[in-house]
Amino acid sequence: MKRIVALLLVIVMVLGLFGCGAKEKEIDPASASWDEILAAAKGTTVTFYGWGGDENRNNWLNTTVAQHVKENYDITLEVVGMNIDDILAKLSGEKQAGSNKGSIDMIWINGENFYSAKDNGLLWGPFTDKLPNMVTYIDLTDPETLNDFCMPIDGYEAPYAKAQMVMYADTAVTPDLPASAAQLLEFAKANPGKVTYPALPDFTGSAFVRNIIYELCGWEQFQTMEADYDTVKAAIEPALEYLRQLNPYLWNEGKTFPESSTTVDSMFADGELVMAMSYGPFSVATGIDQGLYTETTQTFVFDNGTIGNTNYMAIGFNSPNKAGAMVVINAIISGEIQLTQYAELRELPVVATEKLSAEELAAFDAVDLGKGVLSQAQLLSHRLPEMPASLVPIIEQIWLAEVVGK
Amino acid sequence: MKNKTHIFLLLLPFLGISAMMCVSVWNVAVQSLGYIPAFGLTNLTLEYYKEVFRNPDFLSSVLVSLRIALWSAVFACILGVALSMALIKTQKARGATLYAIRLPILVPHAVVAVFVVQILGQTGLIARLGYALGLLEDYTEFPQLLYTPSYFGTVLAYLWKEIPFVAYFVLAFMSGISDTLGEAAENLGASPIRGFFEVTLPLSLNVIAKAFLIIFIFAFGGYELPLLLGSTLPKALSVQTYLSYMNPDLLQRPLAMAMNGTMLLLSAAISFAYALAIIGLNRKIGGAK
Amino acid sequence: MRKHPLLNILLVTALCCIFLPLAVVLLWSVTGRWPWPGLLPESYTLRTVKELFFGSASLPKLLLSSISLALTVGILGTVIGVLTARATELYRFRGKSLVYMGSFFPLLVPGTVFAMGIQITLIRLGLSDTVTGVILVHLIAAVPYCITIMTDVTRSVGSKLEQQAQVLGATPLRSFFEVTLPSLLPGILSSVSMGFILSYSQYFTTLMVGGGRVKTIALVLVPYIQSGDRALSSVYSVAFVGSALLVFFLFEGTIHSIQKGEDSL
Repeated sequence: MKRIVALLLVIVMVLGLFGCGAKEKEIDPASASWDEILAAAKGTTVTFYGWGGDENRNNWLNTTVAQHVKENYDITLEVVGMNIDDILAKLSGEKQAGSNKGSIDMIWINGENFYSAKDNGLLWGPFTDKLPNMVTYIDLTDPETLNDFCMPIDGYEAPYAKAQMVMYADTAVTPDLPASAAQLLEFAKANPGKVTYPALPDFTGSAFVRNIIYELCGWEQFQTMEADYDTVKAAIEPALEYLRQLNPYLWNEGKTFPESSTTVDSMFADGELVMAMSYGPFSVATGIDQGLYTETTQTFVFDNGTIGNTNYMAIGFNSPNKAGAMVVINAIISGEIQLTQYAELRELPVVATEKLSAEELAAFDAVDLGKGVLSQAQLLSHRLPEMPASLVPIIEQIWLAEVVGK
Repeated sequence: MKNKTHIFLLLLPFLGISAMMCVSVWNVAVQSLGYIPAFGLTNLTLEYYKEVFRNPDFLSSVLVSLRIALWSAVFACILGVALSMALIKTQKARGATLYAIRLPILVPHAVVAVFVVQILGQTGLIARLGYALGLLEDYTEFPQLLYTPSYFGTVLAYLWKEIPFVAYFVLAFMSGISDTLGEAAENLGASPIRGFFEVTLPLSLNVIAKAFLIIFIFAFGGYELPLLLGSTLPKALSVQTYLSYMNPDLLQRPLAMAMNGTMLLLSAAISFAYALAIIGLNRKIGGAK
Repeated sequence: MRKHPLLNILLVTALCCIFLPLAVVLLWSVTGRWPWPGLLPESYTLRTVKELFFGSASLPKLLLSSISLALTVGILGTVIGVLTARATELYRFRGKSLVYMGSFFPLLVPGTVFAMGIQITLIRLGLSDTVTGVILVHLIAAVPYCITIMTDVTRSVGSKLEQQAQVLGATPLRSFFEVTLPSLLPGILSSVSMGFILSYSQYFTTLMVGGGRVKTIALVLVPYIQSGDRALSSVYSVAFVGSALLVFFLFEGTIHSIQKGEDSL
């Protein structure tokens, strides 16, 4: 019997040996020069935590980006698929436990999550002023890049890609596409039970509702609004009224909303819905390529424009390899990698056009975006700024209380 | 003395596991009372529980979760026991059929959610069959079974997994009883149905009740299925709790833990009711002997 | 043997209910588009299969780590089950009912609650993001079943044979391994497989404690389900269920042949 106990102990001890962390050469990443950072990052492993549900992005990170940083900087990139909520819960757990050596180096983040993560000391920084490519490729005067949901990034995150809310429908089924909130209501009446949007707090559903708010209440007043439930509710009352009017014509009569934007996409692909929406402005082209959507599927935006925002990369407060993380982030905001992201993933790039060389510019222009999408120029001319991040959860609460099933 | 050391050594790994459980429960309890020094919270208070109970959404979440748990456990036990008896009586308690029955136990809940959507959704296989047979003209005529506040789809998904679980869980025990005492009763002239209801079933009630409790608690605290198949409002308790736990505002953490604490208390109450029932049951069986 | 038409109908219905969704998932895994109201997909694609085998997730490595993790949990859980069952079934001591209750305890705490509660402690112990940490929390899910199974089996096997062997001069350890263990074998078998299954399908706890560093097939599968890519999530589901079954059969086949070998000796 004792032998079995001893055996158990041995097993537990052996397993304990598995848990080894990444090693970091001893430099102070906050004060080191770029050359020191590059040297320290050599031969290390960097972990990149972010949403793992997009096969194309996973493949792009694991092949294009991973090969690039391996060849140029001798860094091994390890991509970990995890929802941002889980990432923040993990970080706050580590903060709570007083752990100063975690496992998360880079984080894919933006908006309210960035706001609260930074507020709660879950991010390391400022670091963007150390990255050479911030100056080389990014427009440092562009308020959209420097403000994430109206919050200054303060050097705690570097831009990754731009997103813009778009809607799409199959023109073979519904030839006339709504160009405003008012037309959308008529559209829903003409197709009862076949229009819906994802339940908030889904990113896309939340953006869709903010877009309706912009349509009916304008966007300017929200840029400086106080984050107070009653103030916000009074300001968005017309939009709430509109959404309640819309409910009877929605899928399941607005009593229930699909839990995620991807469910809405699937329902649209099956013909269960006549319209869907996405944060990826060129996602329709990918869908058509993969045979999920019909060839006649077309992207559209409201005449008054739709909400656009930027997503970013940040570094965990207890990242074991901050130097490596900075090197990888610097590589990702280069013209070369942004171009592959534009071509392979069809994501709006974050680099400033005027900072690109003629060659790079030509390469961007040569990218074929595929069918069913709007051009980059059309999108950017219909792009509205985000609201302050602190208003977003309040709107989500109000929506639950005032719209669902009403 | 030697025996005591023996017993202690034998129980050591088990005690380790139990200690881990206690630590987890302790952490939930302490944090739900507002003690999180890392966030500067050090005053013990019942305020978070009060706040949680003032929220009507939370209360409806509790009811929804209890309902899901009850329906899942009741039907899983009835149908699971029937399935188990079918396996025993048709001599298929071994071999290929048993493997097939055990298959759902292998399938993770998230995949079951995919099944349910593909088959019972408004454009699922059954609705398509209905259309092909001319029973439906459009999918909107097919009743909405998923995403509704009744949590019908969630319960069905649990049943797909838990009926075979119950069948497997009680199989060994029931087959032992049935082979010996049940057959004996039949040999003495009782009909198979009487043999089942008067001998096998009562003697197996202990095991069945255990399966019932396991499923009840599991479905009560389950996360993936109500998330993927449930309604926007009310949300299941675990989904509501996890949302608070994940809230970017870290000061919501004690609230989330208070919800966790409530879930623990309810689970404890249900387990207590189970324990009382089992004691009563055993007395009755003991008395009958 | 008497016929049982009703019971047979029940069995057939059950089998249909089990296999129909599996068949649909198999079909979905190679489906391009399947719009309403077609009974069969409109177009097929091999995109998913390509992604599965040649994509970034590296299936063989993923399967190896998932399977070895789950097997470790099954075996450790069963060892704990055997030890605990021996203590409660073969000895008299005070607090035995506490052990019975305690073995049931992990089932009474919802998994999400447990994971959220234990997270800090594991981080403090340096066990978060490690295989050991994940094994520990998976054990929590597996041990109650292992103990239940082993308790039932140990009770029915009893200690009489073992005691007889000892009276005849065998050492306690030898009598356990040569007399009791073979009769416990069917129970051990189902206990290990139960532990294996429970660990193999864990998602929430692996994510929280493994921090994404401990990779299992469930961890890759669930994001695809959440992202609504039905073809891809179906192909991973097929890989998931298929690999679990394969291990299962290999394992049970081996045990069966061992048992047969022993019988013929």
